[in-house]
Amino acid sequence: MTSIRLDTLTKKFGAFSAIRTMDLEVHDGEFMALLGPSGCGKSTTMNIIAGMERPTSGRVLFGDRDISNVPMTRRGVGFVFQNYAIFTHMTVRQNLAYGLKARGTAGAETDRRVGAIADFLQLTPFLDQPSAKLSVNILQRIAIGRSAIVEPSIFLLDEPLSNVDAAFRAVMRTELKHLQRQFRQTMVYVTHDQLEAMTMADRIAVMDHGVLQQVGTPLEVYNNPVNIFVARFIGSPGMNLLPATLVELGGRLHADLGKAGLSRALTAPLAAAARGQKSRDVWFGFRPEELSVAADTAGLTLAVTFIERIGSRTIAHFDAGGVAVKGVFENDVALQAGSTAHVVAQEQSVRLFDRATGQAIVGD
Amino acid sequence: MRRSPAFELFRYAVIVLAIAITLVPIAWMASMAFKPIAEWQATGNNLTWWPKNPTLDNFRFIFGESSTELIVALERTAAKPILASLLASVFGTLIAMAAGSAAAYGLSRFKAGGNLPLALIQLRLFPPMAVMIPVMIMWAFLKLNDTWWGLALVYGIVTLPFAFWLMKTFFDEMPREIEEAALVEGCSRFRVFLKVTLPMMAAPLASSALFVFILNWSDYLIALLLTTREWVTIPVYMASLSSSMTGQLYGAKAALGLIAAVPPIIAGIAIQKHLVRGLTFGALKQ
Repeated sequence: MTSIRLDTLTKKFGAFSAIRTMDLEVHDGEFMALLGPSGCGKSTTMNIIAGMERPTSGRVLFGDRDISNVPMTRRGVGFVFQNYAIFTHMTVRQNLAYGLKARGTAGAETDRRVGAIADFLQLTPFLDQPSAKLSVNILQRIAIGRSAIVEPSIFLLDEPLSNVDAAFRAVMRTELKHLQRQFRQTMVYVTHDQLEAMTMADRIAVMDHGVLQQVGTPLEVYNNPVNIFVARFIGSPGMNLLPATLVELGGRLHADLGKAGLSRALTAPLAAAARGQKSRDVWFGFRPEELSVAADTAGLTLAVTFIERIGSRTIAHFDAGGVAVKGVFENDVALQAGSTAHVVAQEQSVRLFDRATGQAIVGD
Repeated sequence: MRRSPAFELFRYAVIVLAIAITLVPIAWMASMAFKPIAEWQATGNNLTWWPKNPTLDNFRFIFGESSTELIVALERTAAKPILASLLASVFGTLIAMAAGSAAAYGLSRFKAGGNLPLALIQLRLFPPMAVMIPVMIMWAFLKLNDTWWGLALVYGIVTLPFAFWLMKTFFDEMPREIEEAALVEGCSRFRVFLKVTLPMMAAPLASSALFVFILNWSDYLIALLLTTREWVTIPVYMASLSSSMTGQLYGAKAALGLIAAVPPIIAGIAIQKHLVRGLTFGALKQ
């Protein structure tokens, strides 16, 4: 078992910086998700870990060993590609056995392990079929099996579920997590789908524009985003962010949200942190799930633009003086499009971000 | 979309016309090959589509049996030219495919070679004839004139850009992840090339090789300049099938033409599966 450490890693393609000074440690046996929008550098990071790309500067360490100069053929990692990269001229069995054959494993042992992994991934009925004509779902399972069969201590998956259909994706999320629990590999999982990252990962590394934004457990990243990018990116829908000015009122700090009105008083720790800031201009942030409709007219005043009812949940879209705000409610709400709503954001859920830097203002 | 019957009729008329333009000359050649001299020399009202008295005389004639009717005896039979064409075309194709696909692979995967693709396009742009006179002189100096291996070498060079560009497109379309997947499993580059890349490229290789082979097989001008007696190829030999007494020996030419059509057809049928796959390579999701 091995940990992975990226030490001041940078990667440039010509003038374009794909990765900017990235430090990241993936612990032994940990499931780490690299999450970010397309082009954020997450796949490049993965390719550098696998050895397909060389970093412009910085080092990659497996355990204590600097493997920056070890070619990919000798890094001994498992890699699952987004487009499966199945050897279509071989049968499913030959595909699964490929890694073992390359390592010179004995025939009987190969058969036993191919049987076991096929059983685990429900590939047994397809073993002797040519792999060229199988469905996308099966191809991706073969790709996972082909990498998993050699039991690599480091397992890298590059958006393995982005091409498979939605129902199968849900099944595979569970199975991948199960696979990782069983073998305790160190797993790095690249995805742009936060649901995959949130459900499977022990920790999530959020990237944007080649910069590592935040590393933390799914709940840390969800509850305490370090900046407005993470706040908006994590969560579905993302965090509401309203431009606000902080005002003292009766000895307590409130956020003046302009047309929408005045927020409730901030919690003491947050107020203390906010008072320590030079600027009064902040982003007032709260999760759509933390919004509730006020019984009176005391809360924030928002115009209701439209209501989406999707069965288990109701998503209400508001307009707060030109800024879109969303609210997610467990049950149906008595709101009408075109009307005005009075809503309250729970004090505990409010997050403030510096308007100039976008960084979170964190209380103790 | 519903099309009007008139349009459908027009569409089929165009298709039938296109097929006719392609196939009628071939049918005519096949028919002529089995006609006795009186029939293939016939004009006007005596012209027949099907041979009235089918005969193999034309085939016997080009393989050395003297014909009493023609009062001509051939100086040489068609056997050696057929061998010459086969050797020059096959080895020319091998040279073009080996060098062309190796260059294409290197260029497609490692971006090696810089301006090579453009240089190779230039090789394709100017007519081979433009360089044939210097080549003739060089080949004479190297004693490669009038040899099948000298001809094969020129064929290999002339069709190299064609092989290169076809294969480069195919290599570009093959996802590099497939090779990377094998590399990550611990295989060496060369092993990956042999065990993964080549088998997966079988279809494109086969179809490209067939195209290159047909180019070589149907060449007339280069062979005319580089071969004189010993190793003339089928097209050059065919042009010489005439006599001062009877003029062009159309029956003999047709018989030889029919024989010359056999190798590409056999090759085409043999790799038909690959041909379709090769022509649509990349159009299908992997």
